[in-house]
Order: sequence, then C-alpha cells, then structure tokens
Amino acid sequence: MFPDVVIIGGGIIGCSCAYYLSREGVRVCLVEKGTIASGTSRAGQSHIILWEEPEINLKLEKASRSLYEALSEELPFDIEYRRTGSMAIVENQADWEPFERTVRSLQARGLNCQLLKGDDLLRLEPNLAPDLVGGAFFPEDAQVNPMLTTLALAQAAKKMGAVIRPFTEVIGIELSLDKKVVAVDTTAGRIPTGLVVNAAGVWSAAIGKMIGLDIPVVPRRGHIIVTEPVPDNLINCKIILAAGYMQTLGATGGVAMSANIQQTRSGNLLLGSSRDFVGFDWSVNPEVIRAQAARNLRFLPALAEIHAIRTYAGLRPYSSDLIPIIGEADTVQGFYVATGHEGAGITMGPITGKLISKMMTGQGSDLPVAQLSLSRFSQGQKGV
Amino acid sequence: MPQEDQVIICRCEEVSRKEIQEAIAEGASTVNEVKLRTRAGMGLCQGKSCRRLVSQILAEQTGQPIGEIMPATFRPPVRPIPIGVLASGDDGEQNDVS
Repeated sequence: MFPDVVIIGGGIIGCSCAYYLSREGVRVCLVEKGTIASGTSRAGQSHIILWEEPEINLKLEKASRSLYEALSEELPFDIEYRRTGSMAIVENQADWEPFERTVRSLQARGLNCQLLKGDDLLRLEPNLAPDLVGGAFFPEDAQVNPMLTTLALAQAAKKMGAVIRPFTEVIGIELSLDKKVVAVDTTAGRIPTGLVVNAAGVWSAAIGKMIGLDIPVVPRRGHIIVTEPVPDNLINCKIILAAGYMQTLGATGGVAMSANIQQTRSGNLLLGSSRDFVGFDWSVNPEVIRAQAARNLRFLPALAEIHAIRTYAGLRPYSSDLIPIIGEADTVQGFYVATGHEGAGITMGPITGKLISKMMTGQGSDLPVAQLSLSRFSQGQKGV
Repeated sequence: MPQEDQVIICRCEEVSRKEIQEAIAEGASTVNEVKLRTRAGMGLCQGKSCRRLVSQILAEQTGQPIGEIMPATFRPPVRPIPIGVLASGDDGEQNDVS
C-alpha cells in the first residue's frame, strides 16, 4: 500500500512530523539517507529555550515545551526531559544595560524570568567567575536528550504503523503537469505519494532544487566540547549561558562564539557554542575548540581541571531571518517544508511536527502560521 | 560467573551485552546507533575497548559480515585533556595528566 505522506529526513523534525501524523491516522513513510538522528540532531546540546526571539519564535517555543511535557510521558522510553530552567550570565557592565532591557521586554510580554545582580548570581552559582555583573534566571526552560527524543519519536511512529526507511536517499521528486506531487524517487526505489514533507534540514535546499523551489536554508557549523562527568554541585542550574549567545546567533561573518555550559543527566558537561559558515564541512576545527574552551573557562574557572573527552561539530539549518519555514509551498501542491530551525530544532521539533500534522489534515492552529511560510522570502517581507 | 547476557561490554558506561542486543533488536544497525541508544562508547575511553565488541555483537545478531558493520566515528581528543590545557592551545598528548 502506498503511503499518504513521504517525509524526507530522519532528524528531530522529520521524526516529530512522523509521530504527530501517525497519531492522526495518516499513513507515513519516512526516508532517511543515513540513520535516524545521524545529522544535525546528534550534534547539538540539550536546551529547550523559551526566550529566543522574535515574537513568533517565542510562541513556538512555549507551545513546543508544553508538547515535551506530554511527550516525556507518551514516548516509549525515557528522553531525559527535565525542567531545569536556564541562567543567562553577563560578563561586564557594558553588556548589562542592553541585557536588562531585553529581559524587561520579555517580562512585559508575559515571560516568567528574574534578573539577578552579581551577588545573587554568585549565591546561586558559587563556582562562576566572581567578577560577573549579573544575569537572569528563566524557570520555564528545560532540557532533553535530542538523540533519544528523535529515536523515541521514530519508534513510536513505527508502532503506530509508520514505515521508517534508513539508508534511503531521495534522488528526485516527480510532479504532474499541473505541479502536484506524484512520487518520490529514492536510491531504494520509487514511492508513489501525493504529499511530501521536506524535513531534510541542512539538505532541504537541495531537495527543493529538485523541483525548482528556492528554499533559503544554508548550513551553519557549531562546535561542542564534551567533558567527563562532573559532580552535580559544580553548577546548580543545568543550563548556564553567556548573555552574548543571542548576538552569536545574529552574527553573519567570522566565528561567533559564546560560553554555553550544560550538564546532561549522565553528568557530562556539553560546552558550546560557536557559529561559522563553512558550507558542508562537518569537521572539528582545533582552533575553534581552543577558543571555545577558553571562552567557557572565563565564566567557569573550575573547568580548568576538568577533562574534555570528545569534541564534535554539526551543521545547523540556518534561515536568514532565524525563523523556521513550516508550511506548504504555494507553487507545488502537496509539497510541505519544515526546515530552517538553526539551533532551535530540538526546542521547536514537537510543535513543528504538530503544525505539519494539523496543516496536512486540514485543522487550524491558534499560531500565526502565515509568518512561517516559505513565500515570506519571495514576497520580500520579514517574518516578524 | 555472570549470565552471558549480563556481561559488561562498555566498562566506562556499564552497558551490558543484553542492553546492546536490545538496541539492535529495536533497529540499531551501526555502532553509532547502538551508542546513541545505550551510551556504549560514550565514556572516558570513548569506545576504545568496546567498539570492536559492539561490532561483533552487531555482526552476530544481524548476520552482516563484520567488515560491513559501519564503524563508530573517531573524534578528537585522542585522550582526555583538561579544559585548562585545551584552552591554552598547548594540547600535545604529552600534556595529558589523566
């Protein structure tokens, strides 16, 4: 029997789409050129962040966090979800005023967060560098294991009847003369279907090109350092990031860098965060790792004696306005896009799958989904 | 003697043969997939002692020749290195103090 929908990509986005579509009784086939969670979804950290702007992202993040609460109960195995909160920390006085303005503006829009002056910060986190000027605590933020989440979504979808096909690479998409999806051609054969979800992340632009569709998503590299497990009281809040992280995301040239310290449930630290545009280069650059180690050390001096055991780099699917692209292409009937999440794919994975399932089954959403459309780029309008 | 399926394959993360067999039964077909599901190879030695064993179990259970099992990814550093040393840029292996 042919599937109703072919999902391209077995990362957090594709697997989330497979899960929520299967729950609606849709017959799903997910094709993945490697194995589940073998690309961007295995190359990040752990943070479910609720304060990454602009406004539309804040809405998606909040909705997605609610879905995580449910997923942590529904999925077939533990995804290491926990409500950790997160702490943003500010290095010097010059950065404090803009940071305070940002936090006040988030508060004014209903986000639960508290500013912390230097002494309060050190009382909560005594191991941080004593000269930091302050920070803010975001109690709604949470943490999850991205690989386990992706695998669990795929497994749960499979139990509901979805077909998951690893090592199956898409080589073409067939359209009818009136530009409707007819079939997906893969290295493992042709799959007739009227509906496609392009959830190929950093490869989604290449998939779009197969049918002449311009999807403005490019790969953006990020490095992570993994340490040995450390005692639970080294950091009390399990996600501590320099306030400069948001500027890092907005940077467009060179290597943007900011400290981002996260302790996973296994006790290891994941030290981020850098961003650079290097095409499809997944390799680790030792010089970026060195600078990143130094940057994290500056905020948490106790790291000096803690051992790094592994480093990795991954590519995030970057869209120029840092807003994901979710919806049906307006020029090809049946061709849906779910990509461009940059570093927020883990945070927004569940809501993306949910929105795609609602759109494909003709259900409405309270969220302003028009702002997520692919056509926002061709119309020259910003998504905000 | 412990039961054979209770034998620890990854000593760093204390992953048993049984847990690895279960991951394979759930669909893992490469060493990396077994690692993501079980943590085998994620510990201090980064799979130096267990990755060949994991390949063997994969070969036994899936019937693939061991040469065709996709090996685990190797990533720097070769041995654990203190962040303080890493940050200084002077991270030759002779500086490993572990």
